[in-house]
Amino acid sequence: MTTARRNVRIGRIGLYTLLVWICLFFSIPLLVVISTSLKTSDEVRTFSIFTLPAAPSLAAWIKAWSSACTGLNCGGVRVGFLNSVRILIPSVFVSVMAGAVTGYALSHWRIRGANAIMLLLLICAFIPYQVILYPLVKTFSTIGIYSSLPCIIAVHVIFGLPVMSLLFRNFYAGLPEELVKAARIDGAGFWRIFAFVMLPMSVNILIVATILQTTGIWNDYLLGLIFAGRDNMPMTAQLNAIATTSTGVIEYNVNTAAALLTALPPLIVYFVSGRYFVRGITAGAVKG
Amino acid sequence: MSAVSVFGLSKSFGHLRVLKDIHLPIETGDFTVLLGPSGCGKSTLLNAIAGLEDTDAGIVEIDGADVTHREPSKRGIAMVFQSYALYPTMSVRKNLSFGLRVRSVPRQEVARRVHWAAKLLQIDELLDRKPSQLSGGQRQRVAIGRALVQQAKVFLFDEPLSNLDAKLRTEMRVELKRLHKDLGATIVYVTHDQIEAMTLATRIAVMRAGRIEQYATPDDLYEEPATLFVAAFVGSPAMNFMPGRLISSTVHIGSARLPLNGYRFRSSPMNGQEVVLGIRPEHVQLAPEGQLEAETLFMEPMGADTLGWFQFGEHRLSARLVPQVARGLSGTVRLSLLADHVSLFDPSTEARL
Ligand SMILES: Nc1ncnc2c1ncn2[C@@H]1O[C@H](COP(=O)(O)OP(=O)(O)OP(=O)(O)O)[C@@H](O)[C@H]1O
Ligand SMILES: [Mg+2]
Repeated sequence: MTTARRNVRIGRIGLYTLLVWICLFFSIPLLVVISTSLKTSDEVRTFSIFTLPAAPSLAAWIKAWSSACTGLNCGGVRVGFLNSVRILIPSVFVSVMAGAVTGYALSHWRIRGANAIMLLLLICAFIPYQVILYPLVKTFSTIGIYSSLPCIIAVHVIFGLPVMSLLFRNFYAGLPEELVKAARIDGAGFWRIFAFVMLPMSVNILIVATILQTTGIWNDYLLGLIFAGRDNMPMTAQLNAIATTSTGVIEYNVNTAAALLTALPPLIVYFVSGRYFVRGITAGAVKG
Repeated sequence: MSAVSVFGLSKSFGHLRVLKDIHLPIETGDFTVLLGPSGCGKSTLLNAIAGLEDTDAGIVEIDGADVTHREPSKRGIAMVFQSYALYPTMSVRKNLSFGLRVRSVPRQEVARRVHWAAKLLQIDELLDRKPSQLSGGQRQRVAIGRALVQQAKVFLFDEPLSNLDAKLRTEMRVELKRLHKDLGATIVYVTHDQIEAMTLATRIAVMRAGRIEQYATPDDLYEEPATLFVAAFVGSPAMNFMPGRLISSTVHIGSARLPLNGYRFRSSPMNGQEVVLGIRPEHVQLAPEGQLEAETLFMEPMGADTLGWFQFGEHRLSARLVPQVARGLSGTVRLSLLADHVSLFDPSTEARL
């Protein structure tokens, strides 16, 4: 009895030690980045990266936001932020809704070859997208929308659709099919059942899907670089441009501030909706 | 005119033939029960009538019109599902009115019908609750209410009582019977509970492996089962079966002789034909001059009467006895089989002779 309890206590201590180490491992770089962003350029140059800022200031943040230069362009990451928002909102909305409709259709309507479509989606979800970049570029060039806002949105929707469809299909497959039958007898069709019966039950899974897509699309760099065109470069691409601009001294404090600004939106999303995220994932796993 | 007619209906899932050439005419006002063991195709047949399942062959007519290729919502039917399938995000009121709103029934008419159904089913207190806030019996009534407001010609019920406890089930059975009488509606009702079938039905279709074995009134089904399967499936406690031989209108079972006076043969049997004799426990009686001599095995008290078990040769026989008589029983007894109530079956075809 007591040995058992002691064993439990030792296990706890081990667990917490491990957790503390993991926390340190992940948080030290973050702390260094935050502290650097609050320093002046001189401080960054003269002291080690681990010394704390003598007089923390947001000057670097302000510069990063509104006047840092990428090449000849000195508008800060604000430009990229707005671009990212313009890419993000339609991409997330369209990919989530399209995934929901596809998942609903695959799980509750007898569709010829539904299993084949599922298999295809599964394969698509695991294709490394580098493989199909070139054909995609060619395709978009041919239809004449390459390097534009619609182009990058379409790309995000295409790449998001397989995972979104699978996510929603699994969720909807857990709902009783008699619900759809009852609604059909009540006279509702495909879209009305989706809008009035299925969607209201999908709040949690919609939040999960939105979080997944928001963070994925916001953090995307490669696709934005290739498909968005110069005028629509997302924040990540612009961040890279700021960090690699080689005129004069490298301003690490501005670079780190820009990096933090770029990382902020997904972080906020996580903090605000972490609760729903957990709830939504379990709601999919345990029926009801 | 028939309310529902099914002609030559067949349906397969892949290689599995679930419905095989089903014929089922249902008269207006009938309470028809589809009865059969799990997996025999009852739900599939009901779904085919509802139009929720495509069929491979055959015709479904409702109210004289061929609806084989019509949408479920255009067939003039309403349905109650085994799991109730209430819309979980809608209040009871919204659940009841959803179908009417979809069909753009005028607001006042919707309110009137919801009120009427809620009153009839005594759920008017619950109209603003969500389904998750209701008990099983209440959910079940909401599910029935959702069908009632449609004012359909035909109501389809798929095992609506199977999720309820025994007491509630008995209550709801009475309610359903009353509802059928009050509304005079045509009802097709699926169950695998033969007591439910016997008490509710005006006609019962007993199904087995995708076929209808017998379609008759509960009395006929009970008195003159058409096949061995029906005889064994219907009735609780179950019918007794003993193999024997038919020699000049007398059944020989071992040493016992059972003369058949006035048995209504459906076909003319050969002399010396092998038969299976079936007799219900209430038609086996203790009698000093009985045809069979049997050993008492044990007694199963069932309340109003007691089921006595006896060994006759290598066969076990049950008899429905008065409890006072059963209590003192032991040793060798004589049993008499009431010849008016026996059923004879051909062991090779399993059909009634
Ligand atoms: N969608 C389907 N795909 C493949 N087979 C199916 C499907 N639905 C039903 N079946 C099969 O068809 C047969 C009949 O099913 P059905 O649901 O009609 O049975 P049931 O008589 O209603 O049984 P229960 O009393 O258990 O509800 C079963 O063997 C079942 O496995
Ligand atoms: Mg069933």
